[in-house]
Amino acid sequence: MSVFLSSLGFGLISAAVLAIATVGFTMQFAVTNVLNLAYGSVMINSAFVTYYLNYHAHLNAWVAMIGGVLTGAIASYLLNRFVFTPFQRRNLPPITIVIVALGVDLCGTFGLQAIVGGSYFSYRQSLGRERHFWGMYLSTLQLIIIGICVVVMGLIHWLLKYTRLGKAMRATSANASLARNSGIRTQRVISSTWLISGALCGLAGTVFAMNTGVFEATSAQLYIVLLLAAMFLGGPGSAYGAMLGALTIGVATELSAGYFNPEYKEVIAFVVLLGMLTFRPYGLFGSEKTI
Amino acid sequence: MSAILFYVATIIVYGAVDSMACLALNVQFGFAGLSNFGFIIFQAGGAYVAAVLSMGPWQKSNEGFQSYVLGWHLAWPLPWIGAALFGGLLALPFVFLVGKRLRGDFAAVGLLVSAVLLNQLVNNFVPLFNGAAGISIVPAPFSHYWNPQGLAYQFVYGGVAVVLTVLVYFLLRRVTESPYGRSLRAMRDNDIVADALGKNVRVQRTSMLILGGMIAGLSGAILVGFINLWAPGAWGYAETIVLFAAIIVGGAGNHKGAVLGALLVPLGFEEVTRFIPPLSNPALVPALEWVAIGLLIIGFLWFRPDGILPERRRILSGAGKSSLPMPVPSSGESDSLINLGNLDQMDFRQLLRLEGDASDHGIILSTDRLTRAFHGVTVVSEVSIEFQRGRLTGLIGPNGAGKSTTLAMLAGTLAPTSGKVLYEGRDITSMPSNERAKSGMIRTFQLASEFKKLTVLENLVSAIPRQSGDSFVGALRGRRFWGRDDAENIERASEMLEGFGLTQYADSYAGGLSGGQRRLVEIMRALLAQPTILLLDEPMAGVHPNLAHKIGDQLTRLVASGMTIVMVEHELAIMDAFCDPVIVLAEGRVLAQGTMSELRAMKEVVEAYLVG
Repeated sequence: MSVFLSSLGFGLISAAVLAIATVGFTMQFAVTNVLNLAYGSVMINSAFVTYYLNYHAHLNAWVAMIGGVLTGAIASYLLNRFVFTPFQRRNLPPITIVIVALGVDLCGTFGLQAIVGGSYFSYRQSLGRERHFWGMYLSTLQLIIIGICVVVMGLIHWLLKYTRLGKAMRATSANASLARNSGIRTQRVISSTWLISGALCGLAGTVFAMNTGVFEATSAQLYIVLLLAAMFLGGPGSAYGAMLGALTIGVATELSAGYFNPEYKEVIAFVVLLGMLTFRPYGLFGSEKTI
Repeated sequence: MSAILFYVATIIVYGAVDSMACLALNVQFGFAGLSNFGFIIFQAGGAYVAAVLSMGPWQKSNEGFQSYVLGWHLAWPLPWIGAALFGGLLALPFVFLVGKRLRGDFAAVGLLVSAVLLNQLVNNFVPLFNGAAGISIVPAPFSHYWNPQGLAYQFVYGGVAVVLTVLVYFLLRRVTESPYGRSLRAMRDNDIVADALGKNVRVQRTSMLILGGMIAGLSGAILVGFINLWAPGAWGYAETIVLFAAIIVGGAGNHKGAVLGALLVPLGFEEVTRFIPPLSNPALVPALEWVAIGLLIIGFLWFRPDGILPERRRILSGAGKSSLPMPVPSSGESDSLINLGNLDQMDFRQLLRLEGDASDHGIILSTDRLTRAFHGVTVVSEVSIEFQRGRLTGLIGPNGAGKSTTLAMLAGTLAPTSGKVLYEGRDITSMPSNERAKSGMIRTFQLASEFKKLTVLENLVSAIPRQSGDSFVGALRGRRFWGRDDAENIERASEMLEGFGLTQYADSYAGGLSGGQRRLVEIMRALLAQPTILLLDEPMAGVHPNLAHKIGDQLTRLVASGMTIVMVEHELAIMDAFCDPVIVLAEGRVLAQGTMSELRAMKEVVEAYLVG
């Protein structure tokens, strides 16, 4: 029982980080139909901007995080504006865009590595007091991360359900040309989506780095596996599906790490991903993409 | 001096291995449109099997410092053969990813993730793979005859590697330059249409996954026999991206381009960076290497998407063999100027091998309470209709009436939610679309559906059923086996092209034609598939009325010679002129049925049109 509860605790943390990341990733897919495999590199670059502000500019890590969030937002916006959109205008098959994204990922990750080198880094930040409840051990830092996740998910829910922009996003996702013909300025909606999802990406990168403790330029490279598994479990393009998928994958990987071997904990995500692609490529609930 | 020669020998082996890998990946990606982002799995798998097949039995006492399986101590070339076979076997778990149901980029992501995860597993799993350390002291293959440390050995090894690469080159060319290769490229350009013309997309993709896997396995074996060690660190998923970069740079769909790319990218980068003096930051050069690969991919896809050596245009028509420049069609050309050659003299019965009695008007195709719902919205509801042999039946109705959905269910492109489709009395509801096509049900599509990077003539020939070279085995048997049959098929397609007055475009890429011309190509292609039943989805949409009437006349002639045609249209004038009987659909149900003049008298039909 104690293994179960302590793994569950870890699982909730992983799920919180994963949910922030996956919602951003899936929103990009929903609105622009791009599987942005460069997402991990934007995450880690944002985490490093936070690091710079925290370590060299002596800002509190939580304040420095704002810099990371802005980096993610701006980098994603520019990426869409100057790379993905021009390629998409040429009516290329989706696979070409995926290959371009992989190229961007290499540039982003290893460009960063060329600058910061191959060593490990960590934030100047205390984990806070360790708290113990219901058999779970969580540090204050981890509780704050979970809190951030809950707030962010609430904001996304509010955005999609109650704002004009959210409705326009859903319309663009369902049928971009119909949305355009109905008077929605889809180009603007797409830009906003990349800014918002990019902010989520930057936030995810920073909390990911905080949660791991030590990180390097290539730390987020494998993260895309978990992200894809969470997205496909909930249905590609669905924000709520992404939340649920992230919760499932986060908890499942940590439980398998607790009961079996931590070195193989991603295996479960892998199995889920291949299973979903085989049997339900549009998710457990969705039949086509809906945000 | 000898240091340089050793270096040259090493370059030769690496160049051969990279070329072989790129050739294999290019057949998958450049020809079959299969984005195998997990290619490195096959190379690494083959290398491991070659290593453990050639190594002696594992003993705890002496070689116990590393653990591995098998250890059969086989003599060359058995380990290499084993590697190739294993590479082919490795394709099987991925077969489900390459079915026609899954988007190409989703399948690619599945393969990419597989490569990432398998690498991680191998890194951690000591009993089978010795973990991250990998296995070393892999025996050198020809050490019985030459001293592996000697220069002679190095060059013999390089020679063997080059010879095998050349063999692979000719093997793959034999496959791709056959009718089968044409089908692969058709699938690459549009898999749904290839399927609707009777190509078994899943089998074609599986075959290419296996063939590419075998060659990848062999290339891995050559490498591991030369460097004598195998470690998972060398086989990361990103290595596949390097190979993709090579193909994009060299030219996808061109074998020579693949070899050129292999020499420029994986080999070139490895060797050039070797001469950069060590810097204070040891990670800098490899990191910049990756950045350069990334920039190379993005830059080439933007500025030169076809690579240095673009795919070759296949000239099939006799005219093309002369040095006359081919006319370049302009998309702005008015379709009303299309002159339908000598269509009226064309003998369809002979050209299309039409059989059967033209006066038999029995029921050939019917549906029984056919229903289809999307997201709980019923688009087609309990439609029961019958189609008579040798008639041109029209399906009309306002937008959203369910006409195209019904047609798609007849052709098998879309599965019904409930209900049955009966073809000559047989229930074919669960028959896959490509099999329906093979049994004579051919459909066309509402949207442009030409194979863009096939020439017009290739588009037509690709549809002809039962070509002797249109199978993997047939392709391997070579031109001597299929050449005569293919020449005959090209002849037939050319005749059709002449009839429709488009001979001058025979060797132009179909993607460059005007809208009306592409419509004609699609109709010709569907006819050459020798349909018993032809299902046309708005064939006249966007076609100049004069041309539409000329096409209609030909359809009438086809029906008179025994073909059954079902045509979706919402142009009433077309229906008036050519269709008998006409079925009216509205809101997913059959509203009425009869001749056009009968329907015009019905109040509800007129209303449905006016309201809709």
